[in-house]
Amino acid sequence: MRKSIFGLSLLTLALIAAACGGGSLEGEEVLVFGAPATDGPDGKAIQEVFDDFTEETGIIATYVGSENFESEVQVQLESGDVPDIIYWPQPGGVVDAAERGLLVPLEDLDIDLDEYESRYSPYLVSLGVVDGVAYGGANAVNLKSIVWYQPAEFDKRGYSIPATWDEMIALADQIVADGMNPFCFGMYSNGATGWLATDWMEDVMLRTGGGTATYDQWVNHEIPFNDPVVKNAAEYLSQIMHTPDYVVGGTDAIVSTFFGNAQDPMFERDADGNPGCLMHRQASFIVGFWPEDAQPGAGTETTVFPFPVIDASLPKAALGGGDMFAATNDREATAALVQYLLLDDEAWTPVATNRNGHGSTRITANVNFDTSLYELEITRVLGATINAALSENAFRFDASDLMPVEIGQGAFWSEMTELASNGPSYIDTALDNIENAWP
Amino acid sequence: MSQAILFRELTKVLPRPVLVVLAIVVGSTFIFLLYLGMNKLINYAPERYHEGLYGAMFVGPAIFLLGLFLLYPAIRTIYLSFFDKRGNNFIGFENYIWSFSDRLMLITIRNQVIWLVGVVTLVILFGLVVGYISDRLKKGEAFFKSIIFMPMAISAVGSSAIFKFIYEYRPPPLTQIGLINGLRVGVGSDVNGNECGNNVTLDDGTKLDYVNEGCLKPIGWLQQRDLTNLPSFENITSTEFFSSIFVNFPINTVLLMLVMVWMFTGFAMVVFSAAIKAIPGEIIEAGQIDGASEGKIFLSIVIPYLKTTILVVATYMTVSVLKAFDIIYVTTRGDFETNLLAVKMLDEFAKFLNQGRSAAVAVIIFISVIPIIILNIIRNKSEAKS
Amino acid sequence: MNNQVQKWYDKPISKIILVSISLTWVLPYFGFVLSSFRPGDSIKRVSWWSSIATGDFIREFTFDNYSEILFAENLSRSFFNSFAVTIPSTIIPITIAAFAAYAFAFIDFKGKDIAFLFVVAMMIVPLQMSLIPLIKLFSKGAVLFGVTVIPELSINGTFVAVWFAHTGFGLPLATFLLRDFMMGLPKSVIESAKIDGASHLTTFFKLALPLSVAGIAAFATFQFLWVYNDFLVANVFLGIRPQNLVVTSHVAQLTVGNYGEAWHLRTSGAVISMIVPLIVFFSLQRFFIRGLIGGAVKG
Repeated sequence: MRKSIFGLSLLTLALIAAACGGGSLEGEEVLVFGAPATDGPDGKAIQEVFDDFTEETGIIATYVGSENFESEVQVQLESGDVPDIIYWPQPGGVVDAAERGLLVPLEDLDIDLDEYESRYSPYLVSLGVVDGVAYGGANAVNLKSIVWYQPAEFDKRGYSIPATWDEMIALADQIVADGMNPFCFGMYSNGATGWLATDWMEDVMLRTGGGTATYDQWVNHEIPFNDPVVKNAAEYLSQIMHTPDYVVGGTDAIVSTFFGNAQDPMFERDADGNPGCLMHRQASFIVGFWPEDAQPGAGTETTVFPFPVIDASLPKAALGGGDMFAATNDREATAALVQYLLLDDEAWTPVATNRNGHGSTRITANVNFDTSLYELEITRVLGATINAALSENAFRFDASDLMPVEIGQGAFWSEMTELASNGPSYIDTALDNIENAWP
Repeated sequence: MSQAILFRELTKVLPRPVLVVLAIVVGSTFIFLLYLGMNKLINYAPERYHEGLYGAMFVGPAIFLLGLFLLYPAIRTIYLSFFDKRGNNFIGFENYIWSFSDRLMLITIRNQVIWLVGVVTLVILFGLVVGYISDRLKKGEAFFKSIIFMPMAISAVGSSAIFKFIYEYRPPPLTQIGLINGLRVGVGSDVNGNECGNNVTLDDGTKLDYVNEGCLKPIGWLQQRDLTNLPSFENITSTEFFSSIFVNFPINTVLLMLVMVWMFTGFAMVVFSAAIKAIPGEIIEAGQIDGASEGKIFLSIVIPYLKTTILVVATYMTVSVLKAFDIIYVTTRGDFETNLLAVKMLDEFAKFLNQGRSAAVAVIIFISVIPIIILNIIRNKSEAKS
Repeated sequence: MNNQVQKWYDKPISKIILVSISLTWVLPYFGFVLSSFRPGDSIKRVSWWSSIATGDFIREFTFDNYSEILFAENLSRSFFNSFAVTIPSTIIPITIAAFAAYAFAFIDFKGKDIAFLFVVAMMIVPLQMSLIPLIKLFSKGAVLFGVTVIPELSINGTFVAVWFAHTGFGLPLATFLLRDFMMGLPKSVIESAKIDGASHLTTFFKLALPLSVAGIAAFATFQFLWVYNDFLVANVFLGIRPQNLVVTSHVAQLTVGNYGEAWHLRTSGAVISMIVPLIVFFSLQRFFIRGLIGGAVKG
């Protein structure tokens, strides 16, 4: 009885609220949770987008990010106090939550799937699909198939940009002969050590064997992990990691160096005026980790060349990563935000123009977005590259993010760390171990 | 349910500070009235039941809350440990078989043993020494005790940050800002006889760095799972039994363990020094008159006297080590074979999304404490007899 | 008495041991706290010990790192939240534990031993073990054999959930320590009150409680520090809403916000979150140290 009276009063309250709001969603709140820290560059950028949305609709969207996203989100999903929208750093998170029945399909949020697909490519959309139903909204992507270098240092020494793997090795040998270390390489990452090595292998996989076709088979475990193609890729990686003097600080430094610090030696000069390293293969987001005085030079003083070609007969391919979001309820306010994020081609503008100086270098996966709006030269170039790759179906997502967690965040990472410290003789053991761990 | 909604509605209407104060006032009045009400009820019961009822009234709420907040979850966890990833299918002991066969899980158990032995021993040892010496100081006792005790007031997260700063590693040729690496790379000279330096520019503009051959290299201390990368040990072959144990010494685990020793020594010191104060002075004086050396007095008089206190500290430390979570979580997050059971448990739940295995790890933690609790019970019993 | 033999503890050697141990204990703080007053850029370019040697430390001394964190938006709200979490989470378990401890010490009732064993046993349930089931309990209630024991509460994300959680986690140790403490009180005083016809409730409020102030203060300090420093439980039960942030989480968020090595913020942030615990610790130190041992020493 008490309950019904209470319900009645709630109803009245709701009616009053509706009357005041004039049927609009004004004042409704949407809580969004993700991995990039709230007060970090990416978190601020996301909030800028939401502020535009709030201005347009009156719905108050708030972004909260946490360093411990991974564990907190699992707790949230169990607690019943779930955020309205969750940004997962990997599509795997969306798939898992959808399988557990915790997410709302995009269709129920009034998203026109064809329009969505035309903007974000069928490939990206397919990553958030479970049993034929699309749950995940593609969002930011980054490009991993790039190598950072400083043109001035190259020019000074007469080095030219390597277009093929062999040229890169020749250049590396030249640099060693000149008394320097060619590569920066650091793969330490709290609880995720190893992903940098897996990224290298993925880039090689895309450029050897059957290219993207083999890559997809590898991701879906249609070829075993110790297949000769995979072994070949591991050998390429080992060549970089284990050739003496290739990596700054030596092989020991690879596992000890925090990935965010890895490129710092490039900006430092030793007693002879030489930089610590001349090349660093790392995704576009690394700019945010650079020393503050080096960041404005992204795209000019420090810029990128594409990851070298290995098998010239294969079409070009680009490796990348990115986050994916999904809604946990079908409230109108939630739906409105999802629609805005996915289908409004100008939604990304505040991120691109670095409004209020958030400093984020996030790149949208929406091919309709005008890449000339990006403030930094480098993001403009990378944005255009990503757009082209997506349109040509040459873009592939980070394999370790797509494999089962036991592999992608478990054995693959840990065995690559072992490989880095144990040397080339460990390749077979590493691949066998990963194959055996596949669930 | 309705109360919850009411609560949520209230949160919207009232300003938060008011709400919080209101909740505290209402809550404490409720608790007070609860005990008062029970007391009144008992007065209506026949006299002979009073003592028992009072016992129930005083102990009841505590038992109820413990059952709800600790026993019930514990039972649920044990139940879940026999089920699969998402808790749908019964799989018997499979999660436990995994716990004792998976390579990383075995390493985690090894680390837990190292921590248990290392932390408990070192904390007791340092605590005894500092407690014993500082207790006899004429002045400055409180000062020393405060210094040693202060880490207890700081969170494990803060302490870990402090030590991470000491162990910090940066790739060459960057300046080493961690104390250990910074002091390491700045000494000696390279093969050409040039001084090594921590990437410093001298007044005359020359730069001293440590990248040339002959200078000591910085070491990623938290990433070293063994001693093979340390220059002094590079040439030891790991074939011989003893040297292989030596070379495989997990230096990063030990360095992380020291953070906990640093934090808890103060606790042990305080407890021990109080116990030492309680030793009758004549006993020690008698020893001194007999001409016993100080070491002998400490070992044969003080230590036996502190036996029960040592057990209390050991119990508390064992439980704390088994629960240790933050130190690993904020430093290496378990990479490079530094994991501990409590972190592994969260990893299995949140990273590998496997509730069954996570529960099994929790149960292992729980079971590990049982021996020392039994020891305590035996002690309690024998004391009760005497 | 024996003036010729110098007492060993007055010998220089034992002082050297003590001083060196203290230095070892202080050193970790030293470089850390010192770095919190240096500009972020300098921390990375020059090690803290050479900055003292060259005088850079004095020249570049700055409070900027602190103001960057202290003037962060809503930090005061986070401080309020921390106290709103910590104070009830300290008082509730102590109140309930004090009642239980009194009964274990002074009332003879059936099943006392078993009940006490149960309390001790609960001390060893690891926090992590009960987090997830507790979260489910708070959201969906508990059903045993088809009977709803606890209704659907949906209190996750509110302060009440954190208070409950900390009460559960602090209760066993509180009961254990306070019982030990009360056992140490002169039994004759309690007995004589009983003979005078005072009820247990009166004895508890008028005698046992005032006499146990030291023990209670000790545990209160302990629990306060623990709850204040915790952010696992707070994050789990308060959720992620920015208005629910506690200081420890807020500072952590500010310091990881800038990626890479923001040592200037990490150090100053850590120092700021240490302030309240250190104040509490130093002002209650006397109670803390005395009370804690009250239980442990007798064993």
